[in-house]
Amino acid sequence: MDVNQYLEIFLDETNEHLQSLSDQLMILENEPENEDTINEIFRAAHSLKGMAGTMGYKRMQALTHDMENVFSEIRNGKMKVTSQLVDVLFQTLDALEEYKNTIQETQDEGTNDNAAIIKALQKCLDEGTGAAPADSASEEPTKAAEKATKADGDNGDNSEKKWKNIKLQEHEINAIKEAEEKKMKIYGCTVFIQESCILKAARAFLVFKALEELGEIIISEPSTQDIEDEKFDFDFSLYVVSEEPYDKIEAAIMSVSEIEKVIGEKLEIEEVLESENEAKQAEAEPEPEKEQPAQEETKPAPAAAASPTPAAQSSGTAPAKKTQANKPVVNRTVRVDIEKLDVLMNLVSELIIAKNSIVSYSAAGQIGNNSNFNEQIEYLESVTTNLHESVMKVRMVPIESITTKFPRMIRDLSKKLNKKMELYMSGEDTELDRTVVDEIGDPLMHMLRNSADHGLESTEERVARGKNPVGSIFLDAYQDGNNVVIEVKDDGNGIDVEAVKKKAIDRGTITPEQGETMSSKEIIDLLFLPSFSTAKVVSDVSGRGVGLDVVKSKIEALGGDVSVKTKLGEGSTFSIRLPLTLAIIQALMVVVGEEKYAISLGSIDTIEDISEEEIKYVEAKEVINLRGNVIPLVRLHEVLGLEVSEEKKDRMIVVIVKKGDQYAGLVVDELIGQQEIVIKSLGKYINCTSRLISGATILGDGEVALIIDANCLI
Amino acid sequence: MEDVSLINNEYDTTQYIVINIGDEQYGIDIKYVDNIVRMQKITRVPNCQEYFKGVINLRGEVVPVMSFRMKVNLPETEITNKTRIIIIKLEPNAPVGIIVDAVREVVTLSENNVDEATKSSTSNDPSYINGIGKCGETLISLLDLNVVISDKETA
Repeated sequence: MDVNQYLEIFLDETNEHLQSLSDQLMILENEPENEDTINEIFRAAHSLKGMAGTMGYKRMQALTHDMENVFSEIRNGKMKVTSQLVDVLFQTLDALEEYKNTIQETQDEGTNDNAAIIKALQKCLDEGTGAAPADSASEEPTKAAEKATKADGDNGDNSEKKWKNIKLQEHEINAIKEAEEKKMKIYGCTVFIQESCILKAARAFLVFKALEELGEIIISEPSTQDIEDEKFDFDFSLYVVSEEPYDKIEAAIMSVSEIEKVIGEKLEIEEVLESENEAKQAEAEPEPEKEQPAQEETKPAPAAAASPTPAAQSSGTAPAKKTQANKPVVNRTVRVDIEKLDVLMNLVSELIIAKNSIVSYSAAGQIGNNSNFNEQIEYLESVTTNLHESVMKVRMVPIESITTKFPRMIRDLSKKLNKKMELYMSGEDTELDRTVVDEIGDPLMHMLRNSADHGLESTEERVARGKNPVGSIFLDAYQDGNNVVIEVKDDGNGIDVEAVKKKAIDRGTITPEQGETMSSKEIIDLLFLPSFSTAKVVSDVSGRGVGLDVVKSKIEALGGDVSVKTKLGEGSTFSIRLPLTLAIIQALMVVVGEEKYAISLGSIDTIEDISEEEIKYVEAKEVINLRGNVIPLVRLHEVLGLEVSEEKKDRMIVVIVKKGDQYAGLVVDELIGQQEIVIKSLGKYINCTSRLISGATILGDGEVALIIDANCLI
Repeated sequence: MEDVSLINNEYDTTQYIVINIGDEQYGIDIKYVDNIVRMQKITRVPNCQEYFKGVINLRGEVVPVMSFRMKVNLPETEITNKTRIIIIKLEPNAPVGIIVDAVREVVTLSENNVDEATKSSTSNDPSYINGIGKCGETLISLLDLNVVISDKETA
């Protein structure tokens, strides 16, 4: 067996631990005395160290070891949490993250020793503990020793010393005798795995591997084979021969994460043989009345129950010890490869196309008017719709997965920019399609940086303006119909429209004359042009002008859009609007000329019947006045390059589409109806210059219809 | 010695699908051909490159289709029942269809029978041809699919 097969678990867990460390550190910075947090951090750091050690990543282990020392001192009350210390700890986390990334890419931790950070940690340790010995008499030996004494003291409590139940065969006894002759020590241990552990066999394997480096495993109960097949509960027992002291054995076992505890002791050879005899005796004369307590144990112990030995006698006291206060709630989830979900999604898409095709045949009356058949079709429709919804739901993930790193980022920015700021988040549980969530992390980060750097004023300025010296940034996410809206809001200075205009003129983006006639909204939209930044100083946070245009193009590629609201002196709000799903949408099918087109229902406001006389002209463009709104008309014939039919119709059908608070009326020839459509790409080679067509879909009759992106007509 | 040369020959042969465009014959390396389908309804895509006739539904997949004649600046002809769409896959998941007048046969050409394309300055730009195959008496222009499919106009 090879540790590589555990690499994925290792990476997953490292991620989790790092995230938890980062979260807890944030808390700790605000509440330096919070004991729960310190304990939590210590646990995470300790597990991380153990994992890195087992996987053989020595540098990572060394770094976590030093971090753990610091926490250990904090936990023991010998050190205080200072802001400077938290900085160093965050650096440590970054370095660990780097190790993790290198491991992910190359399966090797790289060669960066991060000596500077280790030194900084040591320094903190020295300073913090004062005269306390800087040499980090690590937590472990003490803990181990403590445990060892506890184990010794607990002699009466044999129920956990399950190794005593191992029945030795002739050759194993011989092996022990042989080891004895070589002056090796014999240990019996029982390893308890946390009950929340999912891959018990993997953990057990890691324990075996760790022990084999120190000595030899004579026998295990259950057998190695059974352990590999996960045929055991949460504990297993071993006899180990080794030259190392017991502390080292226990430390090796505890270095594997998710190990609850190890009970063990050094055995004398006579003792082994004696207990062996005892066991045989016990087997010979079963003591039924003692089986009862054995079964009462919280952890079922088949070995103990099968052959009641002295171990069972004291089991009455054992359950009390097994407090499971920290037992995390076991997730009832399965990890599924996203590719498998994509395959499932494609199959559902095919099914919907096939269903649409049956529906269209039946609607055309080609199958006849069998009411039973129609009923079944309706049933099929509802099942496919539900199936589609369920598959979509499976693909939905909360945006939490990307927002968790933001508080840390804002903290760093706060230090770097020397501005006081606080991030408030809400709606992190809003769910979006997995593919969308993966893509919006960077744009959101850009926008937060933007708010921190450009939006918020410096602390002095805020004080001078009578604002709270601590700036606020809000990240709010919520669902709005078929869209999800994410807003990044700050209470800073807002966008200075005049400054933007001046800069645009300076840069030659617009002429001064243009500047005169532009509305402030149009000017703000200039911010989304490539290479446009109003920050007077280019910082390494932002200001290089590669930000908002990237945000805009990325969001638009996902079928969403970005808008800005701002008030000078009070702050600005950037909102991102994203579609919930990407693959299947509800659409309105329309006919233009002889061709069929789909328009996403999400962008449609209303459908109107307009007579020719209602069309007015503004700047030589056709508009209609609809209930007080002046809406520009778009003749789809023209934009789609179709010949306009000669005959003029008195009345026409206008589909009113909206984007944010802007509207446009699309003139179409005929409406077909609402339909669930599967979005397909047009393929790599075909280039639609105007971006008017966002994709294609296959209709029930096998024909391809194009999807009009109404957003680009507004 | 003969055996050895035979093996070598076999190793260096390539199969081509021979298509007709007017009187000329072109060869397409068979390893890029995913499928050959009859002419079917093509949905026009507005505002795209002129030589793209539109998209078709190929068993649930939307595939863009280009006219070979328009791509190489030949006049369009009528669609006959010999007209075919050759589905090419240069990369997985990126199929593209090419409309040709007719599909004739599959030939096997050894490397000895393929000449370098002559870089002549005749009226027909030869850049989309990367070799000329000799099959008996007939000459077959071997298409460089990357050039044919690429966005550049061969005008």
